[in-house]
Amino acid sequence: MNRRALISDILLGIVPILLVIGLWQALDSFGYAPVTLLPPPGRVFARLLQQLADSEFQQEIAATLFRLFAGFGIAVILGITLGLAAAASPAVNAVVRPIVRVLAPLPKVALYPALLLLLGFGHESKIALVTADALFPILLSTYYGASMVEQKLIWSAMAAGTPRREILFKVVLPAAMPSILTGCRIGLVISCIVVFLAEMITSTDGLGHVLVTAARTFRAVDMFVPLITISLLGLILNALLQGLRSYLLRGFPEV
Amino acid sequence: MKAVPLRQEVPAEAGRAASGAQAAAMIEIESVSQIFQTSGRQNHLALSGISLSIADGAFVSILGPSGCGKSTLLYIVGGFVSPTEGVAKVKGRVITGPGPDRGPVFQEFALFPWKNVLGNVMYGPRQQGVKHAEAEAQSRRLIEMVGLKGFENFYPKELSGGMKQRVALARTLAYHPAVLLMDEPFGALDAHTRTRLQNDLLNIWERDRKTVLFVTHSVEEAVFLSDKVVVMTRAPGRIKEIVDIDLPRPRRRAELLLDPHYQKYVVDIERMIDDTGEDGLQL
Amino acid sequence: MTPARKLFSWLAPFLACVGLLAIWQVAALMLDTDSFPTALDALRAVPSILTDKESLINILDSLRRMAIGFGIGVAVSIPLGLMMGRSRAVASFFNPLLMITYPVPKAALMPIIMLWLGVGDIAKTLVIFLGVSLPVIFHSFQGAKAVEEKMLWSGAAMGLSAAQRMIRIVLPSALPEILTGCRTGLVLALITMITSEMIARQSGAGNILFNAMDMGQYDTVFAMIIIVGAMGIGFDAAFEAFRRRLVRWSEPRFDMPLSFS
Repeated sequence: MNRRALISDILLGIVPILLVIGLWQALDSFGYAPVTLLPPPGRVFARLLQQLADSEFQQEIAATLFRLFAGFGIAVILGITLGLAAAASPAVNAVVRPIVRVLAPLPKVALYPALLLLLGFGHESKIALVTADALFPILLSTYYGASMVEQKLIWSAMAAGTPRREILFKVVLPAAMPSILTGCRIGLVISCIVVFLAEMITSTDGLGHVLVTAARTFRAVDMFVPLITISLLGLILNALLQGLRSYLLRGFPEV
Repeated sequence: MKAVPLRQEVPAEAGRAASGAQAAAMIEIESVSQIFQTSGRQNHLALSGISLSIADGAFVSILGPSGCGKSTLLYIVGGFVSPTEGVAKVKGRVITGPGPDRGPVFQEFALFPWKNVLGNVMYGPRQQGVKHAEAEAQSRRLIEMVGLKGFENFYPKELSGGMKQRVALARTLAYHPAVLLMDEPFGALDAHTRTRLQNDLLNIWERDRKTVLFVTHSVEEAVFLSDKVVVMTRAPGRIKEIVDIDLPRPRRRAELLLDPHYQKYVVDIERMIDDTGEDGLQL
Repeated sequence: MTPARKLFSWLAPFLACVGLLAIWQVAALMLDTDSFPTALDALRAVPSILTDKESLINILDSLRRMAIGFGIGVAVSIPLGLMMGRSRAVASFFNPLLMITYPVPKAALMPIIMLWLGVGDIAKTLVIFLGVSLPVIFHSFQGAKAVEEKMLWSGAAMGLSAAQRMIRIVLPSALPEILTGCRTGLVLALITMITSEMIARQSGAGNILFNAMDMGQYDTVFAMIIIVGAMGIGFDAAFEAFRRRLVRWSEPRFDMPLSFS
């Protein structure tokens, strides 16, 4: 993409954001919204910066990130393993497929109370919920990617001397990478959302908890801060994943 | 539906029989039939009673209309597909699966998109246990031989069709197969690239004279490249005839195009295929 | 597929349910804690919830909010998505906004919205509306974008106006994709509903769940989970059947799959 197009795209993207912030400020300045309920953007961002430098807030971020990564990590390992296994073995497929069909449309957040009862109110129940929610897109995309691998690729590898049992890791897994990484991206977004929500529902720490605490004490500014923080975290993590994706898939034609 | 198998021998003089003794058959196909189950649970007889013997070092084309099962025959020899009936052997041993003694080159190239050119070519040797440095050196020589020096770090997506096929060829040659199985390898390329690659293929083949099984639907290509042309009927595929191509090597395209012997082969074989083909427009 | 295999694939989800419940039963018996009732205990508690007047009202309230949020969401999002798909200007304008709000969990806006709009139905319905909108807009956008130019040219040649082309060509063409978006939206509506009720407990199914938990009625908790789970599976299956009938003419696009269907 040439530079002019890129720059104009970015500018075009910033304009609506600036408009929103402008609108936000206008609502306050012209008195359409009470400042206690909708604090002006300046104050919110000032508070945001202040909190980011505060060590207590940083610990809250750390708690959220820990659960996020743990849950997402387990979902990735479990999802890719099960997805590959289901694509490789009809027996595994016959078991996994109906279970996924049943569990996929089920709102996993409904399981949260059960997880709380089983695993307590600490990290584990939240990590488990994140895993439960992030697992399915990763598993499905792995399964579809693996089952769509071009037959001739596998044949070429076998003729070159790859034994059957190594085909899964040497050919199927790399060939399915685009699909797997797409699923991981969705899983990552879901993980960000779910960890935040779980902390809002019940928690003693974390960004979600910060929001709920601020709500209970009617501090509107402190409510926006964790929300913006998790959004920024989501964007940063997404960008990192996209970077990883670009590197891993540098040989693949763009879809 | 069993056809009476015609035992067709491809005599040894096409191969490397320098001493005059009979070269052992490299590939033997005995009464092979292939039935596919299509959707709707119908049975499609793709190949019927194919028997064929191919000598070491022979360049044999398999020619026929679409759907005559020629690719299927190649896949059976490659060990990718198991014959419904009959058996295929290489060097006397029954074929039970793919292996580095029979290297395929596909029309779709089938290069590994996550590896660059060097990585693709090195794949076979590394699988054979060759040490990294040695495999890399070997591969670089091969890449140069197929005319892609300087492109080692390119990814397949950055190459043209002709270049990709060169890489595919290099990749297969890298693990030194005794037999090359080529499935309409130049079918996806434009005419100019195709003729260049045909010439290059012959040049490379002249070096060590591997046994080549070459599937095509182009009569000119088959006659230009091969020692023998196996003409097949349409489905259910049977061998209609095997034509000896008695043209001297090395073959130059410019000379051959003007050679009346070459032209006669092409006309005769085209007529053979016409007989086996479909009826034209009934006007 | 042989008749036996066809029967198996149709039965399989039911077998899976039974299997999961069986695993639950065994695990509960092995763990033997009060807070983890067995599957049978939970199932037994289901009818008592459904017949309890207050619980029933809660559940119906939830469903009502979900229906309204979903309905308005779809009604607004489909036209917006279609317009974005056909007009670069509209798309460029809304795209960044949507991309920013994508990672924000809509249910997390509950406290803020409650701060502004109070604790009534409107807040919860609004959140559901927001949750539904995004996937429906996105899929409508994709569907509209993919409509072949040549079809539209034919339409223009036949004398259809821009609005007519939108309704008679773009909409039906994009319908399979739109309905996929609606299916996602439906799933999200249910999730957002439950989550917002868990966060802001006033009424509704999420509320029942946590009340029961606070009061130590663990059977009820798990029974409620079964009910919500059944709702999720039921709605999805029903919508999928509806979608298939409507777009029988189209092939399934290999998109990001929600499930094995």
